[in-house]
Amino acid sequence: MTRPEARQHQLRGAVLRANPLVLLAAGLLVVPGSFAVRSLPIGLVALGAYLLAGVVLLPSLRPALGRLGVVMLASVMVVYSTWLLGGHEVDTALTAGVRVLVLALPGAVLAVYVDPSRLADELGQRLGLPARFVVATSAALQRFDQLGQTWQHLDRARRARGFGPSRNPVRTFGYAASLTFALLVSALRGATQMSIAMDARGFADAHRRTWAEPVVWTVEDSALLCLGIALAALPVILYAL
Amino acid sequence: MTPARAALRGFGWQPLGRRAPVLTGLDLAIEPGERLLLTGPSGSGKSTILRALAGVLGASVPGEVSGAVEVDARIGLLLQNPGDAVVAARIGRDVAFGPENAAMAREEIWRRVRESLAAIGMPYALEHPTQALSGGELQRLALAGVLALEPGLLLLDEPTSMLDAANAEGVRRAVLAVVAQTGASLLVVEHHVAPWLAHVDRVVVLGADGHITADTSPQELACMDPAALAGDGVWMPGLPAPTPLDLPATLVRPRHAPLPLRAESLAVELRTRTMRGPVTTPALRGVDAELAGAAVTAFTGPSGAGKSTLAAALAGLLVPVAGRVVAPEPAWHRWRPRDRAAQVGWVPQNAEHGFLTSRVCHEVVVTANRLGVEVDVGETLEAVGLSHLADANPYQLSGGEQRRLAIVAALAHRPPVLLLDEPTVGQDRDTWAAVVGWAMSAARAGAAVGVASHDPALAAASDHEVTLERGRVAIR
Repeated sequence: MTRPEARQHQLRGAVLRANPLVLLAAGLLVVPGSFAVRSLPIGLVALGAYLLAGVVLLPSLRPALGRLGVVMLASVMVVYSTWLLGGHEVDTALTAGVRVLVLALPGAVLAVYVDPSRLADELGQRLGLPARFVVATSAALQRFDQLGQTWQHLDRARRARGFGPSRNPVRTFGYAASLTFALLVSALRGATQMSIAMDARGFADAHRRTWAEPVVWTVEDSALLCLGIALAALPVILYAL
Repeated sequence: MTPARAALRGFGWQPLGRRAPVLTGLDLAIEPGERLLLTGPSGSGKSTILRALAGVLGASVPGEVSGAVEVDARIGLLLQNPGDAVVAARIGRDVAFGPENAAMAREEIWRRVRESLAAIGMPYALEHPTQALSGGELQRLALAGVLALEPGLLLLDEPTSMLDAANAEGVRRAVLAVVAQTGASLLVVEHHVAPWLAHVDRVVVLGADGHITADTSPQELACMDPAALAGDGVWMPGLPAPTPLDLPATLVRPRHAPLPLRAESLAVELRTRTMRGPVTTPALRGVDAELAGAAVTAFTGPSGAGKSTLAAALAGLLVPVAGRVVAPEPAWHRWRPRDRAAQVGWVPQNAEHGFLTSRVCHEVVVTANRLGVEVDVGETLEAVGLSHLADANPYQLSGGEQRRLAIVAALAHRPPVLLLDEPTVGQDRDTWAAVVGWAMSAARAGAAVGVASHDPALAAASDHEVTLERGRVAIR
């Protein structure tokens, strides 16, 4: 196949070639696994293992660091509230925080590397999910990046009209709410136009459709899936010991 | 592929939530292989006819259809906004979408993908990301996606209105080559008639009330009085640009003298967040430009030259990476939005992005109220022909009406500096006259006006021109 080579030449790394189902599995398997993070050492070892895998396998750490920041924020909030409500026990609070990191970080980072078209291929062809649902989802995901740009344009137009975030937190919240609403309206508009274009290309009657590209499962995919299972199982094993 | 015969008989359409129908009792037939140009003012129902023939009314667009729609072959629809048709991240896969829906075998899909992309002259490999395409390339990609289904009737909804002259010509050439090659019937909806006239067999003009006012050949159209047809807002060939509206000074006179805004070796980078992290693209480099008082300055240049970025930076809406926009302290982009709004009015390219309320009459005063400025809503709406829509929802207006509303919404508080981003794109003559009229009337009353535009008629109407090319000033 030409596809992986073309992608490899843009960015290097195993996760870029990986089957999207493997990425999805690795991100989701850790959710039950994280419940075994019952002590700080278990949590730190599990987190360390994921970080190590990330350093080795990710083509670039920049998007991962951005997501780490967001997940860290959630984690810190959990640490604080657990400490506050759980009798001021630092150890318990930190464990809860690390658990959140282990739970959310792998999925948040791996989501970046899922190609919507390939995911649709896998869900439709390999897992046999309804084609129309799968294709519509993939088309919507593909437009996701546009939302960021629309947000900027909406923000610019509002500031130009004398409205913008201010030092008053209530005002700033109201501003963000109004921007979010406008973004939704704009996204719905775009979705209507897109569905017109899609229906005109035969999507409306595509109850039985074919797929332009086959799905492939490589040895590397199997290896990555095993790694994902092993990483998710690590806290469970440590807890059992 | 057989060229399609298509017809609307006694056709009517009332969108969900509208009191009056857009079209009633319309009859229109297209013969196999015929090339038809459909034109008329904003809101006359041109796009509705196209959508009816495409079979998406009532399905993707909610509302009530009456009469009959007959199309005897597969159709291909091209929309105004090039980005709307993209369904995949790679161009090959995007073109494959139609054949996949038609449940074709894999070899047949890829044969058609390659043929379609070759027919429209796409220079990139099948793996090329759709995100990296320009507006003109995206429109040609959409055309390839349509072609892959070998349609008997091509329906084009103002396919070039969002593009600059060079890109528009490229898309037009691709369309005409395809029609010549396949013999498909063609229906083009356009405000700008001239570039298509030599290539169509028939021209139909819709009046503002949605009824056909002319149905003729291009040759006979040339003999008709263009002014009579221009009364319908149509850009007829051979007609001079419309006379900009002369607005009363009370509506546009700046409340105080404009700040002398000047870009000094200005450099701006545009940063967008994507799923894969932020992407930075340089938009302006070392730009010196001045916004003179009591004059209209046009920022011109090809797509991607940085026209819109310069307008937004002069409006204080972007943070420079180097250089600056000269304004009184503090740094221009750090001014509080309210204080800056008193100095500058900025009109976004997409009118809908600027709407803050759910009623037209509220939209006009919202910025003025924030600044404590009195605005005569009735007179303002009257001046741009929106009085009858004072209680309507801004999102339900037609494209031209939204454009006029965006102008008054951003400028009714009479700021001394006006910056407009592509204000005439895809507009009929009446809206053009209102938009350019507002800019020129304000300049005459002392305002400093900057317009980012690839519209040659607007550049001709302005006092100064700053031409940009790849983020730098080309000619002064």
